[in-house]
Amino acid sequence: MKKLLSILLSAALLIALAATVCAEEEPKMLNVFTWDEYIDYDTILAPFFEETGIRVNYSTFGSNEEMLAKMEATGGEGYDLVLASDYVLDALRLQGLIQPLDKSKLPNFVNIKDACLGQYYDPDSAFVVPYVIGTPLIVYDPVMTGFEITGIEDLWNPALKDNVVIIDDARVVIAHVLKTMGHSFNTADPDILAQAAEKLSGLRPNIRVFDYDTPHVAMASGETAAGFMFTPQVVWARMDRPDLQVVYPKEGLGIGIDGLVISAKAPHPGNAHLLLDFLLRPEIALEIAAVQLYSNANEAAESMLPEIFLTEPSLNVPAESLADAEFLQFLGEDEALYQDIWLTFKQQ
Amino acid sequence: MRKRRVAFPPIYLAIVLVLMYLPILMVVLYSFNDSRTSATWAGFTTQWYEKLFRNQSMGQALLNSMQLAGWSVAASAIIGTLGAVGMSKARFRGKGAVETATTLPIMIPEIILGIAYLAIFTAIGLPLGMPALVIAHTTFCVPYVYIIVKGRLVGADPALEEAARDLGASSLRVFFTVTLPLILPAVLSGMLLSLAMSLDDLVISFFVSGPTSTTLPLKIYSGLKTGVTPEINALCTLMLGTVFLLVAFSQLMSAKRVKSEFKGGTP
Repeated sequence: MKKLLSILLSAALLIALAATVCAEEEPKMLNVFTWDEYIDYDTILAPFFEETGIRVNYSTFGSNEEMLAKMEATGGEGYDLVLASDYVLDALRLQGLIQPLDKSKLPNFVNIKDACLGQYYDPDSAFVVPYVIGTPLIVYDPVMTGFEITGIEDLWNPALKDNVVIIDDARVVIAHVLKTMGHSFNTADPDILAQAAEKLSGLRPNIRVFDYDTPHVAMASGETAAGFMFTPQVVWARMDRPDLQVVYPKEGLGIGIDGLVISAKAPHPGNAHLLLDFLLRPEIALEIAAVQLYSNANEAAESMLPEIFLTEPSLNVPAESLADAEFLQFLGEDEALYQDIWLTFKQQ
Repeated sequence: MRKRRVAFPPIYLAIVLVLMYLPILMVVLYSFNDSRTSATWAGFTTQWYEKLFRNQSMGQALLNSMQLAGWSVAASAIIGTLGAVGMSKARFRGKGAVETATTLPIMIPEIILGIAYLAIFTAIGLPLGMPALVIAHTTFCVPYVYIIVKGRLVGADPALEEAARDLGASSLRVFFTVTLPLILPAVLSGMLLSLAMSLDDLVISFFVSGPTSTTLPLKIYSGLKTGVTPEINALCTLMLGTVFLLVAFSQLMSAKRVKSEFKGGTP
């Protein structure tokens, strides 16, 4: 027993020693935590490896909430970079699970669009490197609807009975219902939410499909006449069906920014900064936007973007529409109110 | 009336087969579709296969899954077999309760097991990753091996082991030359079932996987955000092909064996 203990102890010492030796220079590794394929291998990770020799361990989560649960349970142990949506980055920051960026290691930080900096989730632009911008939009087939859609309100039109596809996302959809009633996206007032629930229930007869990840399929196949979905899904739908029209809702736009943060317990913070700065290069930022088909967040890449970013309305949202766009913020316990409304609505 | 009764079985069979194989056929078909979305057929292409073979992270995830399955199946085969053999001989108070407790993990919802593992691993400071995954997967695989081997042992004749011992074999020798060959088919089918369970587990793996141990199901599930591309179809097609080849091979082998045994019987 004693022998075993001493063997174990010496092994632990050896490992500790190895760790301190390595601390001089980080091993050529980097642990990234995000959605599958969200950082493309061919255009980003492979060239990054070629240039720096750093191998990226890419681990995935299914949703922002899953990621948050994991980070809270482990304290972020083992993860270097997390790429997720603004509201959940806010939660990570408020819980002290991420560390501030070292701007001296990020010479390309100046390339970021001003509109993406100083937002609610990172007021001093000290923690987050913006990755892409998304704006959920309406897309519709004018021949099938028979009338022009200009805003969210039009989705209630009885002519669209059983003919609408929407993303299966409680917060995003209810936020836009609140917008049609003149309220903020982030209302937590139970009375206003009750009114929103009532208004929402009027939309139920028009909804044919709830789909979080492939709503564009219903539009591309002509199963539905109108849809409300995330940016890349609008682009995919229009790639198959260029005759579909895109609408910037007249009530106002919703906006979301996905960004990268460094875990407070990152084992390789130096490598993390190397990848962040790499991602901020204009020629790499260009690939991010072009592969993911979200709006570009990099000012320096703007003039180099492929043609689709000029012609595709969902990737080329006018600045005045973006200026009064509103973010969805994390509501903590009040999120449950939204989920209840959504569940009732779907089962209606 | 009589005719209808004759027509029913083939129709029933056809419906079941179509329901089982049509979706699989669609997966294979759309792995050759030249469009990101599976809504419309846009022509034949093999680009998704090319993309798949270039995709390093997909290969890594597959490797992680195989590695995890290998370790946990091996561990659960040993633990489950020893447990079943031991329990079949043991006589003590509360044996029934212990047996029920060992097979309970099958009936506990995965999400509860996942949270439980996460809680215990973080409490004892075991870093999440491959070792934690192997422990978790072994735990839920053991009952499958245990139950199947136990069933086989119930049907085994105890006189065989007694005869071996009468002839002077040590208990270790008895286990390896008599008991193990008897229960080997059960051990193997238990291992196959465990393999399937381990390979497609998503919920428990999510909770205990670490930064370098993303498994294939975790990776595919996470594709929701960027949209599942036909690359996944291509991967599924290849996996299906492998499974069909394996099944065909084992059928061929057993058919051959039956044939040669039959031939050996004739002068």
